[in-house]
Amino acid sequence: MQEMTQQIRESAKRLLEQGQVDCVLGYRKGTVPMQERPFFAYTPEDADQLVWTRFCVNNLANFLIGRQDRIAVVAQGCVSRNIVGLIQEKQLTREQVYVLGVHSPGMVDRGKVQEHFPNRVIHSVEEDGEELVVSGADFSERIKVRDVKRNNCYTCTHRNAVIHDELIGEQGKETGGGNMDKVAAPWEKLSPEERWERLEETFKDCIRCYACRDVCPLCYCNQCFVDENQPQWCGKTVEETDVLTFHLLRAFHCAGRCTDCGACESACPVGIKMRMLTSKLEKDIRELYDYSPGLDLESTPPLSVYRPEDPEPFASG
Amino acid sequence: MEYVGIEPGRLHFSWISSSEAGEFQNKATEVVEAVRALGPAKRLVKDIRPEEAEAG
Amino acid sequence: MQDKILDKSELDAFLERLGKEHDVHAPVQNGGSVEWAAVDSSRDLVWDFTNTGVSPKRYIFPQTECMMRFRNRSDDPEGMVMKEEPGLTRKRALLNIRPCDVKAFRVLDSVYCQDEKTNDVYWRDKREKTLYLGLACKSPCPTCFCTSVRCGPHHEEGLDVLLVDLGEQLLLRPVSDKGQELVSHLSDAPQEAVQQAAKQKEDAEAAIQSRVDLENIMARSVLELYEAPMWDREHESCLNCGVCTYVCPTCHCFDIQDETQGEHGRRVRNWDTCMSWLFTYHTSGHNPRGSKKDRYRQRFMHKFKYMPQKFDVIGCVGCGRCTSRCPVNIDVTEVVRGMNEQE
Repeated sequence: MQEMTQQIRESAKRLLEQGQVDCVLGYRKGTVPMQERPFFAYTPEDADQLVWTRFCVNNLANFLIGRQDRIAVVAQGCVSRNIVGLIQEKQLTREQVYVLGVHSPGMVDRGKVQEHFPNRVIHSVEEDGEELVVSGADFSERIKVRDVKRNNCYTCTHRNAVIHDELIGEQGKETGGGNMDKVAAPWEKLSPEERWERLEETFKDCIRCYACRDVCPLCYCNQCFVDENQPQWCGKTVEETDVLTFHLLRAFHCAGRCTDCGACESACPVGIKMRMLTSKLEKDIRELYDYSPGLDLESTPPLSVYRPEDPEPFASG
Repeated sequence: MEYVGIEPGRLHFSWISSSEAGEFQNKATEVVEAVRALGPAKRLVKDIRPEEAEAG
Repeated sequence: MQDKILDKSELDAFLERLGKEHDVHAPVQNGGSVEWAAVDSSRDLVWDFTNTGVSPKRYIFPQTECMMRFRNRSDDPEGMVMKEEPGLTRKRALLNIRPCDVKAFRVLDSVYCQDEKTNDVYWRDKREKTLYLGLACKSPCPTCFCTSVRCGPHHEEGLDVLLVDLGEQLLLRPVSDKGQELVSHLSDAPQEAVQQAAKQKEDAEAAIQSRVDLENIMARSVLELYEAPMWDREHESCLNCGVCTYVCPTCHCFDIQDETQGEHGRRVRNWDTCMSWLFTYHTSGHNPRGSKKDRYRQRFMHKFKYMPQKFDVIGCVGCGRCTSRCPVNIDVTEVVRGMNEQE
């Protein structure tokens, strides 16, 4: 990872010095353990702050929306897929963005690391190959990265960038090894009653901070439906109906577009696993339309286009 | 919708041409009867009435 | 007031006594984190924890709170009938609350109870019916900086009793009259226990590595800070989500809505966040805080300049929740240092 960081800095400096881009978007070392910060480098000096670690959990495609300048961006598989999505949806032009493609080794879920050290204060977490060295005031222990990756990284299907203008490091193994179709499976086996209970349980701690929405590169509406007040579609309370209306509608709006980057789950301050909703929608899209989002600049997302041969298993009679 | 536990049968889709008035009427009746049989919706319903009013 | 001592094995009796008049709530283990919940046994209590993920602010200022109900029936000779909501029906005790979280209530008193006319009944009702039994902080997080903002791991302001965990025993220091009454039946703490508690205080304060200086912020004018060049870049990675404001024990903005259902209606107050563009959006279509930069700046200016200037309180207790929960690692200490140091 250290080498990758060096290469990113070198490329960024070159691009900025030669004036090929106005800005390089990457990650900067965070001030707390396991949390890197999205960072815009405008000068070659800025570029020295860029890093690439297993704690780069934000989806940088989100920060490209609305940019008018020429911008280079560090993009692993999921981020590159969201860049493709944004270009398909005309939020970005291909010419405007310079993709520094990186291979993602799978990012760390800091909640899982904390769970290994219940109620102990973690002061630093350093990467060492396939292990993490977790230290506090009076302890220092090693844990295996493979035990604490984010759930979505286990079922990743595209770890390499799907488009790039320049490759940083080598391309690597393409998948996380898990089966994406199985994410939604536990709910599919349940009765409607039981599913509803699971839904209630999943979202009961939501504080409606909208971090899941604001961190998501799909959620770029000028005005989200929950912020509309004439008419007001959704109440402002933390009562179940209002909370679930928000999450269900948001999930539907993402159908056929979600790359399972996991930014929503990483951002949630109360640990809600909202992939239980999105994974089902994406599974349906794969099964009904044989489509996976963000892989091909020339294709059109299935829910944005009408084809006479579209399947209609939902239409009765 | 069924995936999250909203009762099956509360949501109906069908494809009817604008020239099929009879078909439209039949379908509308069918949907109304099916949903009526399920009773009042229990999911995603907000009830803000004070407790004493709920019974009435 | 005299420090008291309580063996942890006698905690259940203490809880039972407390529970006679109060609903007792405390931080309890909740999966990987520690969160607030009702407790009825000492077994539920946790002693080694940093702090709860979400602050206990909601006990006094719930995220969703019904303010009143109304009924509007055209055939009703009384016309529209409005009905007050009953306040808290039973007293409450917040046990093992961290001193910073109690200090936060004091900070918010200066907003909600300014004078006779600005005296929020909903806030005051719950404030007055709540007992605060604080647990001194043993293991501050790297994100804590309470000692920089007129607070500390053993800070007593706003407490009824301060508890210091001595292992098998607890030292109970009454701070208010209510607290004194609650612990008066216990035996006096021996000198060693008092010394042990004092040592713990010293150690905990020393363990807080993060420090910020506010002197220049206080000295500089509002406009100077407002127009500082630092804001131009700082906000770029901010998502304008509401995490920082909702986990914060001192953020206190709200939105009031009337909801109706047929003839019935209610007025509800919900937390709102200055990070949201809608928060300041006028009916006219104008938005005085229209850009992300405006909103980002607002939260820090409010806590570290406007509140000190207006109420002589710092609008932050240094709990570090916003830093540790921010999805993009915006660090409040870094921002405040920037405000204090900028040219």
